[in-house]
Amino acid sequence: MSTVDMCVNVGGLPMKNPVTVASGTFGHGEEFAGFFDVSQLGAVTTKGVSPLPWDGNATPRIAEAPCGMLNSIGLQNPGVEEFCKSQLPWLATQDTAAIVNVSGHTLQEYVQVIERLEDEACVDAYEVNISCPNVDAGGMTFGTDPAQAAEVTTALRALTKRPLIVKLTPNVTDITVIAKAVEAAGADAVSLINTLLGMAIDAKRRAPKLARVVGGLSGPAIKPVALRMVWETYNAVDIPIIGMGGIATGEDAIEFMLAGATAVAVGAANFVDPLASLHVLEGMVAYCKENGVAQVSELIGALEV
Amino acid sequence: MDQKLQERGPVLFNRQVAEGIYHMSVLVPGIAAAARPGQFVQVMVASEPSVQFLRMPFAVFDVDEAAGSVDICYQVVGEGTEQLTRVVVGDEVDFVGPIGNGWHVPANAKHALLACGGVGVPALKLLADELAAMGARVDVVIGAQTEKRLACVEQFEDSIRDSHGALYLATDDGSTGIKGFVNAVTDELLASHDYDYVAVCGPPLMERSVALPAIEHGVTCEVSMERLMACGVGACLGCVVETKDGLKRCCVDGPVFDASEVVW
Ligand SMILES: Cc1cc2nc3c(=O)[nH]c(=O)nc-3n(C[C@H](O)[C@H](O)[C@H](O)COP(=O)(O)OP(=O)(O)OC[C@H]3O[C@@H](n4cnc5c(N)ncnc54)[C@H](O)[C@@H]3O)c2cc1C
Ligand SMILES: Cc1cc2nc3c(=O)[nH]c(=O)nc-3n(C[C@H](O)[C@H](O)[C@H](O)COP(=O)(O)O)c2cc1C
Ligand code: FES
Repeated sequence: MSTVDMCVNVGGLPMKNPVTVASGTFGHGEEFAGFFDVSQLGAVTTKGVSPLPWDGNATPRIAEAPCGMLNSIGLQNPGVEEFCKSQLPWLATQDTAAIVNVSGHTLQEYVQVIERLEDEACVDAYEVNISCPNVDAGGMTFGTDPAQAAEVTTALRALTKRPLIVKLTPNVTDITVIAKAVEAAGADAVSLINTLLGMAIDAKRRAPKLARVVGGLSGPAIKPVALRMVWETYNAVDIPIIGMGGIATGEDAIEFMLAGATAVAVGAANFVDPLASLHVLEGMVAYCKENGVAQVSELIGALEV
Repeated sequence: MDQKLQERGPVLFNRQVAEGIYHMSVLVPGIAAAARPGQFVQVMVASEPSVQFLRMPFAVFDVDEAAGSVDICYQVVGEGTEQLTRVVVGDEVDFVGPIGNGWHVPANAKHALLACGGVGVPALKLLADELAAMGARVDVVIGAQTEKRLACVEQFEDSIRDSHGALYLATDDGSTGIKGFVNAVTDELLASHDYDYVAVCGPPLMERSVALPAIEHGVTCEVSMERLMACGVGACLGCVVETKDGLKRCCVDGPVFDASEVVW
């Protein structure tokens, strides 16, 4: 049987297949190495990293939700210096692209992280998180205002030639406005969606289930919203899209590509099935074979409407 | 990096052993061969759609390596554990594990005190076996609200007898054993014996009430902590425990922590 060409290119980042993992759901990859060889993935996307260590929010920071989960981790991370010392070297030894997710409270903090990471040869691309619902300053506020989103993108664009992927929040009225703003400011690609702001209540205790009260919803529950936003964005911009939100199977991933994604990320599904990302990849290959798709890139935006 | 497994196997039995408490055995030979005392598994019902999105963590209660089975003992507290009770022999259950660091048994331990209550009891059974096999004397204190909710006691009997240790029961209502909390017993034991190792697993307040006096007595004390978990593999940072050395992940840096390192 002929093999399927699974290669895609995300705004200058060549990937041997379209499957990566969603930031914050896969550590820096090493956590899953006991289950499978992560080099099989098209890329590993790391947990968000900031200039200085962040402790994140108080616990409990996770809660069940119908067909998904809420989290309010709050971008806990060891800071960029420690990240470069204790996490990145492992990822550098893996035969897969390394996408580093970048976070900050202020424009200056995003700048500091990228400046430091420019010294690390093994970083293949940046994913700039302007969409985290779990931090008070920065985070999502940059992602909900087109002018601020463009300002961050412009500043970071000036610092690097590496592919710059900007991660968008669904917590806006019209995601295409933000997507167009970051495209015009020099982003090479966009990734979407981050989590949807939500809440869970324990009726017996009359108390919120998350210490922070509100948190980000992810998992299969958000897939229809994510698909819709990928489709809208695909029709609004020319830069490639990494699609995510509830992907758990190969067929889910194919749906995102049909809606316009060039690559896909597996998030909360990794928690249920540690091999989920691999199963998604295998399922995509199987779909292509069954449907006579020679190159997976044929599927990008191939939705028939 | 330790090999971790996702393994699906048939249920060998799933029976109620006390009010709202069940003992389940599953054929998962890979995990049975790898599991150490104090580790846990992340469990999902495989034979029907899970009512919950996330897996549920349960201590490895017992292992039969020859038979390839891993046992868990669980208390029904919500939808997920409720669904587990409906699983029958032959149904498939999906385990990820073994997870966590497990107990760090001092090589020269001579007299150990194991204190547990509620859903913490299962985490100590294999430890009792290991200590007894090493030749340490094993005293065990088991607490429960009431006699009807006391489970898994007989599984400790062999190691207590073989090691010439003692078993103490404590119930909140005095329906069996001593009336009172676990620490009413452990306070007295710590004052009257020279323990060289204390292990604790149970509700947070109970853990604290045993660990702090143990530390005061200068005894090496380990606690197995419980946190809500999503990934169970160290990736999501949902399960952190505050320690003197900063935030640690309960699932992979724990669940067993040196009691003197925990910020109580
Ligand atoms: C390392 C570890 C080992 C455990 N070992 C055992 C065991 O051997 N036997 C046993 O019966 N239980 C054990 N637990 C607790 C068990 O995981 C939960 O009781 C179970 O997941 C509840 O699922 P549910 O859907 O029935 O309840 P839910 O509806 O999810 O919750 C019901 C109540 O239980 C609490 N709860 C839920 N999950 C946890 C959790 N992970 N830790 C503490 N409280 C929780 C919730 O806050 C809520 O108040 C362990 C937990 C951890 C972290
Ligand atoms: C526990 C958890 C932590 C996350 N941390 C980050 C993060 O650090 N940076 C980021 O850009 N997105 C983060 N996300 C969002 C995911 O990358 C992803 O956008 C979202 O979960 C939707 O995908 P899913 O439904 O497949 O999980 C996190 C999500 C979860 C569940
Ligand atoms: S449960 Fe995800 S890090 Fe511990």
